[in-house]
Amino acid sequence: MRAAAILALCAFPAFANEAEELLLAETGDAEYGEYLASECTSCHQISGAMDGIPPIVGWDEIAFRLTMHHFRNKTREHQAMNVIAARLGDEEIAALSAYFATLNPEDDG
Amino acid sequence: MNINRRLFMGTGAAATVALSAPMVRAAGHGKPRVVVVGGGAGGATAARYIAKDSEGAIDVTLIEPTRTYYTCFFSNLYLGGFKEFDDLGHTYGTLASAYGINVVHDWAVGVDRDARTVSLAGGASVPYDKLILSPGIDFVEGSVPGWDISVQNVMPHAFKAGSQTELLKAQVEAMPEGGLFVMIAPPNPYRCPPGPYERVSMIAHTLSKINPSAKILIADPKEKYSKQGLFEAAWQKYYPGMIERLGPDFGGGNVTVDPSAMTVDIDGEVEQAAVVNVIPAMKAGRIAELAGVTDGNWAPINPEDMSSKADPDIYVLGDAAAQGDMPKSGFAANSQAKVCANAVRGALTESRVFPAKYTNTCWSLVSENDGIKVGASYEPAEGKISSIEGFVSQTGEDAAVRQATYEESEGWYAGITADMFG
Ligand SMILES: Cc1cc2nc3c(=O)[nH]c(=O)nc-3n(C[C@H](O)[C@H](O)[C@H](O)COP(=O)(O)OP(=O)(O)OC[C@H]3O[C@@H](n4cnc5c(N)ncnc54)[C@H](O)[C@@H]3O)c2cc1C
Ligand code: HEC
Repeated sequence: MRAAAILALCAFPAFANEAEELLLAETGDAEYGEYLASECTSCHQISGAMDGIPPIVGWDEIAFRLTMHHFRNKTREHQAMNVIAARLGDEEIAALSAYFATLNPEDDG
Repeated sequence: MNINRRLFMGTGAAATVALSAPMVRAAGHGKPRVVVVGGGAGGATAARYIAKDSEGAIDVTLIEPTRTYYTCFFSNLYLGGFKEFDDLGHTYGTLASAYGINVVHDWAVGVDRDARTVSLAGGASVPYDKLILSPGIDFVEGSVPGWDISVQNVMPHAFKAGSQTELLKAQVEAMPEGGLFVMIAPPNPYRCPPGPYERVSMIAHTLSKINPSAKILIADPKEKYSKQGLFEAAWQKYYPGMIERLGPDFGGGNVTVDPSAMTVDIDGEVEQAAVVNVIPAMKAGRIAELAGVTDGNWAPINPEDMSSKADPDIYVLGDAAAQGDMPKSGFAANSQAKVCANAVRGALTESRVFPAKYTNTCWSLVSENDGIKVGASYEPAEGKISSIEGFVSQTGEDAAVRQATYEESEGWYAGITADMFG
């Protein structure tokens, strides 16, 4: 699963536009991602539990990056997520995706 | 250092309970020491992140007098009948057992900044390399003439949660038919800007079920308040005719209370009340003042890492800090704690330090399944925490949006309490 995601990251799908291509090509620094993720865990539980806010652990990295990109450019609308994503650069989104991909929804934390 | 430690442990056994994991403790000698005062939204989060991320390289002590922390957040939902009292309570067991934090149930009563020690009410002295203060708020004496802390059981504030919240709820439920509930709202700045108005909504919700002819009167020293248009629209929709607010133009800032007569004098008009909820003016928790890190009512901080402007080895989080553009909220305190934890760890163990960024969202429930929110992102600029971009709910949103907003707040409550207590 992970290997497939990394492979796909290198040969990202043809439908990606230029901004998305750049984002998908970025290398994710998981340690930076862990720090940045502390902003997210006030709302998204690290355990993957769902109580009114969807879980974001254990996602495929490409899907995660594109979802954050869509919040950032507001093609997906949500007040809080739009403001949060607006100040994330490609480096930050890549770092977050790398970190969250390391978490397993079944782990306790 | 050893003497202090032994003294601390010795007194600890008599006056306090140190719920520490023995293994981590035994290995603690010579490690850098972080002491956190206050186990609330800021302090519990900072202690947990430092202990978790340093993986035992830092000795973390958390000083908190209460064994169960009752969240102020969602305490209004308890007043509205949407939460049980026990839903608000959280304990420190996991912080001790899973993270090896030395949890000491005692009051910090002094800070010796030269010796770098914190003295406890039980007599112990706890040494630190870095001290984090997150003591929340205390009330400004004399801000509501006639009221002082000794009458809090007659006219509760319920702005520190726990028995005060239970008392206020019991008083509301015991109101005579058609009785008057008066809230004395606080001047800025205070913890949780929408808090008093969410409380009015929740009390109105309860009264509309059990005592529909009761009235709510708010005496308010402020011209305007957070999410005002949204609250007013909700009050009109759900509780028409029940709530009246007197702003400063109508004497809302000129209030005296008489707890023995249960009366409130608003600009010369005396009201006989069944319940009086006095929310006085606020200032940083007293230990911040005792530590000498306050300037006026609050403790100035450097926005890059939450360190005190008065002492580089002390950090002040949450309500007690002069936090620039951020409102005093649990969300904000939790957000600041994570920036601080990263900086403290970097200073003590040379782990990587990343740039500060902060966020806040404050949700309020105005009626069943009708939630509203306001939020923003922040970063250090011009010597303070400055807002970058914000958002707020709109009047006239459809019911599905409001319900989703309420459900988000439930998710956030589960998220932040897990982030604080493990
Ligand atoms: C009615 C109400 C509703 C609210 N709703 C929300 C909401 O929906 N969302 C939100 O984000 N925020 C909300 N808040 C605000 C939130 O509760 C506070 O902003 C938050 O708790 C601040 O965190 P803190 O760490 O600064 O202080 P606190 O959480 O108050 O923690 C301080 C701790 O320090 C301890 N302490 C104090 N002095 C000492 C000492 N000398 N020694 C040792 N320990 C000490 C206290 O016992 C306490 O446990 C609400 C507040 C109220 C009153
Ligand atoms: C204020 C609370 C809050 C914070 C903080 C927050 N989120 Fe979210 N997030 C939400 C909510 C609510 C949703 C659901 C949005 C929707 O319904 O479209 C969401 C949705 C998401 C989704 C899509 C989930 C899905 O199933 O489609 C991702 C990915 C995500 N957030 C990532 C993050 C990251 C990364 C951070 C930190 C940088 C973060 N969030 C911080 C509240 C928050």
